Amino acid sequence: MYSVEADNLIKRYGSNEALRGVSFRVDAGEIFGIIGPDGAGKTSIFRILTTLILPDGGSARVLGQDVVRDYHEIRRRVGYMPGRFSLYQDLSVEENIRFFATLFGTTLEENYDLVKDIYSYLEPFRKRKAGALSGGMKQKLALSCALIHKPEVLFLDEPTTGVDPVSRKEFWTMLTRLKQQGLSIVVSTPYMDEATLCDRIALIEHGRFLDTDTPAGIISKFTLPLLAVDGPHMPSLLRDIRQIPQVFSCFAFGDTHHVVLRESGLSEEAQIDLLHTALYAKGHTDLTIRHIKPGVEDCFMYLDTLEERS
Amino acid sequence: MSFVGKEFNHILRDTRTLMVLLVMPVVMIVLFGFALSTEIKDVKVAVYDPSKDAATARIITQIDASEYFTVTASLDGEDGILKAFQDNTADIALVFEDNFYHRAVHDGDGSVQVIVDGSNTNIGSMAVFYVSSIVSSFQKDLAQEAALNRADGSAVTPVRISTSTRMMYNPQMKSAFNFVPGVMGMILMLICAMMTSVSIVREKERGTMEVLLVSPVKPFSVILAKAIPYFVVSAFILLLVLCLSVFLIKVPITGSLLWVIFVSLLFILVSLSIGILISTLVSKQEVAILISGMVLMLPTMLLSGMLFPVESMPKVLQWISYTVPAKWYIEAIKMMMIQGLGIRYCLDAVLILCGFLTLFTGLSVIKFKDRL
Repeated sequence: MYSVEADNLIKRYGSNEALRGVSFRVDAGEIFGIIGPDGAGKTSIFRILTTLILPDGGSARVLGQDVVRDYHEIRRRVGYMPGRFSLYQDLSVEENIRFFATLFGTTLEENYDLVKDIYSYLEPFRKRKAGALSGGMKQKLALSCALIHKPEVLFLDEPTTGVDPVSRKEFWTMLTRLKQQGLSIVVSTPYMDEATLCDRIALIEHGRFLDTDTPAGIISKFTLPLLAVDGPHMPSLLRDIRQIPQVFSCFAFGDTHHVVLRESGLSEEAQIDLLHTALYAKGHTDLTIRHIKPGVEDCFMYLDTLEERS
Repeated sequence: MSFVGKEFNHILRDTRTLMVLLVMPVVMIVLFGFALSTEIKDVKVAVYDPSKDAATARIITQIDASEYFTVTASLDGEDGILKAFQDNTADIALVFEDNFYHRAVHDGDGSVQVIVDGSNTNIGSMAVFYVSSIVSSFQKDLAQEAALNRADGSAVTPVRISTSTRMMYNPQMKSAFNFVPGVMGMILMLICAMMTSVSIVREKERGTMEVLLVSPVKPFSVILAKAIPYFVVSAFILLLVLCLSVFLIKVPITGSLLWVIFVSLLFILVSLSIGILISTLVSKQEVAILISGMVLMLPTMLLSGMLFPVESMPKVLQWISYTVPAKWYIEAIKMMMIQGLGIRYCLDAVLILCGFLTLFTGLSVIKFKDRL
């Protein structure tokens, strides 16, 4: 049995279509990542699966239970951590976790071993108000609160947004450990670098999944030549690269430009030469151009551009 | 249950709001108390005494002798009263009838009228109270003397002096003590409705409602758990206001204290149900405050009879005022607290409050969504 099954989910807010037919399956004991920018529809998926909103079309089952009909059962068996860490800022760390434990009819002591790994970070601060914790601490507390009742599926909506890189890394280590305990985890993130830490990912944009596969699978489907271009006048360089007819697309990635070339049959050296010549004609010199391996973000941008142009 | 504890924590930790909640009623009551200043002294009394007999002379002397009154003028006719009020040479006027002694002792229906300058509301009711007590103690004296005079003890007619009161300028005695029920209604409405709705809506706004909903706890019990602490806080404030009014401003609770508290608790429940209803309809704290402010406070102040008598409003406003729960509450409390009437005189108000409670609770149950 799948932990989560979604079939052709549709959600509209007025005339705005937040989800336009989203389908996916999550296996038991799997970390499933939903990767996409803000406003792509990630939160709508989470809210439908956690029975907080009703889909306007399609159906979904969590642990075999229908999200519309059997919502009571689902609410008992899943853990949910909404995008903004939903804690009581004026209650202490300990009061927060104890409150969430009683909410599910259990106690901190009863399920202590479940949250031990995470909660042990927090215990020195257990008398501190949740509002006075750092972002990473808040996130750990929220995760502890979502885990305290031994859920079978964990829904984490952008858990690492606004958290420092060290805490983000720690957080993913914790997720991996939870997965090993047999928990299915559905997690969303706008950070492409976190995608490779998931077992399988779905790339979402404008309410539609661009692709669903393992991170390696998604990357392996990217077969076009990909080059990184570096130079002194980056903004004008970006504009000029996009005007070269052989270029499929070009985006700024940090301090380099990633260029996707159309299928041409040219050798790698010939591709680099082609870019050099075309850009020299537009007055760009001192360029560094090399081939690179695509990452998830490259795949995302490529698929998104394909979608847009079709 | 742990829910209720959590809510108490929220309230107790937000010390600033808590202080406002507790200080506001105190300040309001104290302010009104001092503005009213019920301590009356040297009330100027004008007397019109056409009978000029032994009895009236004794009453006038007794009144003049009391620390509360000073007889300032003796009038020649009832026409002089208005003038005395306007010149501020008198605050109240005593009008005896002709042949007072004879009618009091032999016919048993002596009567004295107290005319009060109602524009000075502080003095009015207290002055009337003191005058009547002086007159009634005089009546007892007179009765004893009359009995002694008839050595055979065959008192044929009982001695009776009736005191009647007439207000000039302000026949309904607005303000003064009547403000206390008004302030009570307003404070309770404000605290219950505004605070409950805001605290529920805050959960929605902060996103904690999302987590509460995705839990096995019945969402409506989440909301009930919110109402309980505010009920306790409101009951405490009710007690505070009652104590302040009785001990500080010395508002006499003439009716049954038990029923006053019962009706107040009923009104608190109505206000809580309004707060819950508001919280089911809106999702922003500001909106909740605006609604409880505009939709509840204004009608409570303007239409409940707290500031302006409902009876003298245009018909349309009177109809609207029937839909203001505070109107019924203030009316009932006025009757029981100030006029000393029993609960059966305000049964209709109590029933209507019950009706409101059922209506608002029912509506919020229907309106409540256990999804976002």
